[in-house]
Amino acid sequence: MPGFFKDVLILLQPRFLSFKNPLVAANSKKEFYRNLFLGAAGFLFWIGIFIISLRTLKYFYRIEGLGDILVFKLLSMLVLTSFSFLIFSSILTSLSKLYLSRDLVLVHSMPVSGNRIFTARWIESTADSSWMVVIYTLPVFVALGIVNKAGFFFYLNTALVLLSLSFTSSGIGSLFVMAAVFIVPAGRMKSILLFLGFTLFLTIFIVFRLLKPEQLVDPEVFSTVVVYLDTLKAPSSPLLPSTWVYDSIKESLSGSVKSSFFHSGLSWSFAAVMLFINILMADLIYCRGFSKTQTASFRVFKYKDSDLPLTGLLSGAGRAFVGKEIKTFFRDQTQWSQLLLIGALVIIYIFNFSVLPLEKAPIKTIYLQNLLSFLNMGLCLFVLTAVAGRFAYPAVSTERDAFWLVKAAPIKIKTILWIKFFIYFFPLLILSEILIVATNIILQVETFMMVLSFISVLLMVPGIVAIGIGFGATYPDFKSENPAQSVTSFGGLLFMMICAGFIMAVIILEAGPVYSIFMASVHQRSMTILQWIWTILSFSMVVVISIIAIFLPMRFGEKGLSKVLP
Amino acid sequence: MILLENLTKKYGVFTAVSDLSITIPKKEIFGFIGPNGAGKTTTIKMMGGIMDPTSGSINICGINMKDEPEKAKKNIGFIPDRPYLYEKLTGKEFLRFIGNLYGVDKKTFAAKAEEKLNIFSLLSWADELIESYSHGMKQRLIMAAALLHDPEVLIVDEPMVGLDPVAVRMVKDLFKQLAERGMTIFMSTHTLKVAEDVCDRIGIINKGVLIATGTVGDLKKKSLLADADLEDAFIKLTS
Repeated sequence: MPGFFKDVLILLQPRFLSFKNPLVAANSKKEFYRNLFLGAAGFLFWIGIFIISLRTLKYFYRIEGLGDILVFKLLSMLVLTSFSFLIFSSILTSLSKLYLSRDLVLVHSMPVSGNRIFTARWIESTADSSWMVVIYTLPVFVALGIVNKAGFFFYLNTALVLLSLSFTSSGIGSLFVMAAVFIVPAGRMKSILLFLGFTLFLTIFIVFRLLKPEQLVDPEVFSTVVVYLDTLKAPSSPLLPSTWVYDSIKESLSGSVKSSFFHSGLSWSFAAVMLFINILMADLIYCRGFSKTQTASFRVFKYKDSDLPLTGLLSGAGRAFVGKEIKTFFRDQTQWSQLLLIGALVIIYIFNFSVLPLEKAPIKTIYLQNLLSFLNMGLCLFVLTAVAGRFAYPAVSTERDAFWLVKAAPIKIKTILWIKFFIYFFPLLILSEILIVATNIILQVETFMMVLSFISVLLMVPGIVAIGIGFGATYPDFKSENPAQSVTSFGGLLFMMICAGFIMAVIILEAGPVYSIFMASVHQRSMTILQWIWTILSFSMVVVISIIAIFLPMRFGEKGLSKVLP
Repeated sequence: MILLENLTKKYGVFTAVSDLSITIPKKEIFGFIGPNGAGKTTTIKMMGGIMDPTSGSINICGINMKDEPEKAKKNIGFIPDRPYLYEKLTGKEFLRFIGNLYGVDKKTFAAKAEEKLNIFSLLSWADELIESYSHGMKQRLIMAAALLHDPEVLIVDEPMVGLDPVAVRMVKDLFKQLAERGMTIFMSTHTLKVAEDVCDRIGIINKGVLIATGTVGDLKKKSLLADADLEDAFIKLTS
């Protein structure tokens, strides 16, 4: 047995050292500030969750009779949701860790038995798949403890029992993966799981949205709410690991140590059983499954080589990169779920506007419609920023190891960046204009607001795409297994912040003049000379900022990428 | 055809390549050998326009790489040591990508692509995604792509890595034929037998400095080892 643990620890060493070394080594100042910035952002997010939880819990407890039920239902839902997330996340992580990681070929060539390799990878997978869920659910439990004035036992028990839930979820996830790899090749399974997961999530989300949950705050349907709340008292299944965790936390909150220990014991013993079954299964099938993964997967489609239609008018380089980008994009199954997500986003976005109860608002509908239309412009551009962050920002990083081709090609870096810009600009412009025009039609806004929104979006989309391409080129990540995630890096954060600043600047510049024009139109009077000057200056500034937002980041990106070596 | 003048590359205080000057005429196959970390790949990256030198100049077919990099690169076929490609394209689509990028005539593309795929025994794999290719097949595809636009200069970093013996023989013969037809080839390699078999002249680089150039016979003489082969001469000169 000591040999088992020794081997597992040795196998975990590279991971531990690659985590520790960058922390211990004398980093450059730039890297230090970058980590500090990311750490501070993460901490602020944690604090934000804590404050919102604290306020919500305090508010719930003030509702007589219902407070307790609501709080415990919320707690139960949180634990159940975390459990589901943990299982989904552990399925994806263990699939990568056990079957797809690049270092696995080296690890499997070592004189170590399959179950030891499995255990080491499983521990890594558990840590990777659960740390974020555990850390970001903790503030809710801390807030719960503070509101209920719970003792130290509650906090300790909660942390430990959440850990047991992570082990259990990881055990379930890896068991599922080991079995599934025998039916579907690991490489393809990841895409299938991601696709199914997203489709399921989106279906549930769209159905939930179409049910109009906002009606629950409508007094006219209050009787339904009472019936609904009555159903909340129903207990969850006692066979679910999340129920044991929930019961343990609930008991420790009320100070029942013995009862809490019982439920924690259930949770921990189940986690241990899961690990035991996993190791047994690993002995039987893990290595065989891994060996199966090493064989090339069969091909579903035949590809016919030709230039893409409508690219005949482009230059050679333009044709080359447009064809390459579009083909590689649609052949990467991980992108499909993202496209589904955008489709759902469009449906929900437009639907939200169609169900706005404008007639019930205390202010005049005409003001509200146009105010909403103006604010909608900002909202739509924020949505666009998120979409651009997912597609335009990683556009350079998707070159990955083949970046040497770009550097060796007889074409300027500047030209490549502009080609990438136009590839993403047109689809994103169409998406934004559909959102803005459709919602304006639903809101029945004035022609002036419609024209203003249309032109503002037309002016700003190129800027947002250029900031994405430019910053993606300045901070490329060619080593990432999934370049799409590069937007969560330091450069991605900068991109988001600069886009937010850009959108806010335009909204602020336009707000005053738009109000003046709108009021003059409503009251059928002409504007003063001062108002005209203000309007012309503001709109000129918007045009200037929008032009700067296109060219400056592209220049910045070109300079940055020229220095990057493949 | 290739003119390197006082080429220097520094990474901070470390000098990877120091004051390198080489002239390689048309039709010559020049072998570039040296121990690990001697500066071979750095030199090749600078010649391919992937990396800027700290000082010195690179001339390809009379075109200065610094002044007109795109024009100079158009005359180069570049083959790196690691075959990283766009995995989601098929072999033929990759060749079309390169053809478009290097301005290969659309009318002649299909015939040229087929010819190159045939030479490198990839014709039956032409419509398969590159992700299903073996390491050696990817290396052969890169070679096919590098030759697609009929470059005047071929720059190759470790050409034989990952190739089977038949492919090695084929590539060696192909390089000789290409040189006879007027191509200039600059080839970095660790396989001294390949250098001995193929190259007209060989340059030895050590710690960033070109320590010897000449034919295999010249290098043997310089190493003062009468009956030595290239391996003995290399070890003597670099130790």
